[in-house]
Amino acid sequence: MRLSRRTLLAAGLTAPLAACSTPQRRGAGGPVEITFWSALRGSQQVVDAFNSSQNRIRVVFQQIPSGGQGGYAKLSNAARAGNAPDVATIEYPQVPGYAIDGVARDITDLVTDRVKQKILPQALKLTTFDNRVFSVPLDVEPMVLHYRADLFQANGYEIPATWDEFASLARTVRDRFPEQRLAIFPTDGAMQFACYAWQAGAQWFDTSGGKWRVSLADAPTRKVADYWQGLIDEDLVFRNAADSKQHDAQLGQDRVITRLSGAWDAGAQMRARPAQKGKWRIAPMPIWDEQVVGTHGGSTFAVTKDSRQPEAAMEFIEWQCTHPDALTARLKSGTSSQYPVAPGLVEAGAKAFPGEYYGGQDIYRLFQQEADKIRDGWVWGPRMTATQKVMQDGFARAGAGVGTVIDALREAQSGTMPDLKALGLSTEEGAR
Amino acid sequence: MKGRLACAVLMAPFFVLLVTVFLVPTGTAVWLSFFAADQPGLGFGPESTVFVGLRSYLAVLSDPTFLNGLLTVVLYCLLYIPLMVVGALTLALLLDSGVAKLRSWAQMSLYLPHAVPGIIAALIWLYLYTPGLSPIVDLFARADIQINFLGIDTVLPSIVNIALWSNLGYNMVIFYAALQAVPREVLEASVVDGAGPVKQAVRIKAPLVRGAIVTVGIFTLIWALQLFTEPVLLSQSTPMISARFSPSMYIYDAAFTRNNYGLAAAASVVLLAFTIALSYGVTRWTNRKAI
Repeated sequence: MRLSRRTLLAAGLTAPLAACSTPQRRGAGGPVEITFWSALRGSQQVVDAFNSSQNRIRVVFQQIPSGGQGGYAKLSNAARAGNAPDVATIEYPQVPGYAIDGVARDITDLVTDRVKQKILPQALKLTTFDNRVFSVPLDVEPMVLHYRADLFQANGYEIPATWDEFASLARTVRDRFPEQRLAIFPTDGAMQFACYAWQAGAQWFDTSGGKWRVSLADAPTRKVADYWQGLIDEDLVFRNAADSKQHDAQLGQDRVITRLSGAWDAGAQMRARPAQKGKWRIAPMPIWDEQVVGTHGGSTFAVTKDSRQPEAAMEFIEWQCTHPDALTARLKSGTSSQYPVAPGLVEAGAKAFPGEYYGGQDIYRLFQQEADKIRDGWVWGPRMTATQKVMQDGFARAGAGVGTVIDALREAQSGTMPDLKALGLSTEEGAR
Repeated sequence: MKGRLACAVLMAPFFVLLVTVFLVPTGTAVWLSFFAADQPGLGFGPESTVFVGLRSYLAVLSDPTFLNGLLTVVLYCLLYIPLMVVGALTLALLLDSGVAKLRSWAQMSLYLPHAVPGIIAALIWLYLYTPGLSPIVDLFARADIQINFLGIDTVLPSIVNIALWSNLGYNMVIFYAALQAVPREVLEASVVDGAGPVKQAVRIKAPLVRGAIVTVGIFTLIWALQLFTEPVLLSQSTPMISARFSPSMYIYDAAFTRNNYGLAAAASVVLLAFTIALSYGVTRWTNRKAI
C-alpha cells in the first residue's frame, strides 16, 4: 500500500515536470483548464471575474467544506489518490503539514519577484520553510476586538486598550449584569489562544536550529494561560465553544458583548446576525505592554503536487492575491471582510466593503494599522490540526472545571511530540 | 479424491476470506509499522521509505493520549462486562425458571435491539442524550433535575448504556440456550434436596453454564476493546469525547487526520497484541479455576 503510494507520488512529481518542458496542453484549442478548491466565501465570484478577465486560463471552481468540517480530509484523500486540484486553499496553520506531506508543491521558482514585492513579507514568511515557498498568502488577519458600541455607550464602558483594562471591564460587566459577560473563553479556540500567545511573544514552534523545537507552554504562553485561568476562576467569561448554537444565542441575546477574532470575522458577523446592523464597531486587540498583535485566521493558496499546469495555477493565484478586481469581487459578495496581504489592495478593499453594518467605520484603515503590528517570527507546527484538537479537548475540560488552561497546553505538547517523532522529524522539546 | 475436492471447494471461501480480510491487512499493518516515509531534519525535503524499526511503537507507547485511550477502554470494560454478563445471565435464568410470563414475547423484545445496527443505535441514543433535543433530558428538567448524559463523568456510563441496550438480548439468548441443555434430572435432584428457585439458579444452573459465561465474557471483551462507533457519534454532541477517546479512535485519527500511517499501524498492532494478551489471560484464568 505504501509502495504504491510512493510510486504514485513519484509519478505525480515527475509528470508535471515533463508537462512543463512541453507547451501547455490546451483542450482542443480552448483555454488551459485548472481546478480550484476552496471553502472561502465569495470564491465563485472571484473565479467568475478571473474567467471573464482573460481567455487563456479557465478555472473550474468547487466549493468544499471548511477544513475542520472535512475539507482537509478531502484534500488529503484526493492527494493520496493522485487527483488533488491544481489550486487548493490551505490556512496558515496547516501549510507546514501539507508541505511535509508533499501535497503542497515547492513553488519557490514560480513565485516571481513581482509577486513578492506586492505582498507583506511577514505573511510570506509564514508559508516559507527551509527557504522554500509552499503557498501564497491571500489575506492576513490581525486579531481585533469586535464590540457592541451601543451597549458600551449606554453603560459608559471604555474600550479596553490593555489586558488589565479588559479584565477590569469584564468585572464591571459581570457585576452590573450577572447574566452578561464581556467575552467568552472559547473552548474550541486553540487558534484564538495561539493568537493570544503569539501576541505575548510565545514561540510554540521554532525551526531555526534545523529541528522542530516545540514549546507550547513557554513563559509567555504561561502568562497568557494564567490570565485566562484567572478570568475563568473569577467567572468573568463564559466558557463554551465559539462555533456553537450556544454562542450564537449569547450574542443574539446581548449576553456577550465583545468578540476577539480576526479581521475576516467582521464579514462573518454581518452574515450571521444581520439584525445587529449598526450596533457593532471594531477596535484594536488589547495589548500587554508592547504594541504588537497576533493573527487569527487567514488563508493561502497552494499548487498541489498533482497539478499538471503549475504556471497557469500560479497565474490564477497571483491574480487572486494581488489584483484589485479579485478583492472587489470577493467583498461585493457581501460575506467577506478579508484583509488583503497585498497592501496595494487596501484602498480597493475599503471602497468595496459595504460599511453600513459598522456604522460607516473605516474598518480597513484599522485593519491596516493592526496588520503593521503583527509580531514577527511566529511559526506554525507540522501537525497543527491534531495539536489544536488535543488542546481543545483540554480547554473543554478546563471549561468544565477539570484541569486548567495550562494543563491543556502541556497535554497538547505531549500529544504532539509522538506524532512528530513518528513522522521522522528531528524534534526537541522546549521548556514547559 | 472426490471427497477431498469437495472439501477444498467448501473450505475455500473461508480461507479466501481469512487471507483477504485478516491475514493480509494484519501483515500490511505490521509492515507499515516498521517503515515510514522519512525526510531528514525539518521534513521539507524529498521523502524516502526507510526501515524505522520500533520508532513508531516507541512513539505510540510514549503518547499519553494513546495510553489514556487504553485506560478509558479498560474502565469501559470494567463497567460494561460485569453488568453485561450478570444482566444477561439474570434475565436468562428468570426466563428459564418460568417466573417470567409471556416468555417468547419477552425474549423477542429483549433481542430486538440487537437487530438494530450499531450506528443506528448510537444515533437513537445520541438523540436521547443531547440536551435541547432529548425528551428525557426535557422531562428531568421539568422535574427540576439537571441531568447531563454527556458530561465529563457521565459520558462513559452513557456509552455503556448504549452497548448494554444493544447486546443484552443477544447474550441472554446464548445463556438461555445453554440453560436448556442443563439435564432436567439434575434440577429435579436439587429440588428433592430442598433447593428453592433462587438457590437452584445460583448454585446449580449458573455453574453448569460456565462455558457459555466464559465465551460471552471473552467475546464481549474483544468487542469492547474495539470501542469506536458509539463514542465517534456522541463526540458530535460533547467535547468530553476527544478524537482519541479510545484506541480505535486514536488509530482512525492517526491515519486520517494526522496522515501518520506508521503511527496508526503501530497503534493497531499494539491494540491487537493487547487484545490477544487480555483474552489469553482471561482464558487461562478461567481454566485454572475449573481445575
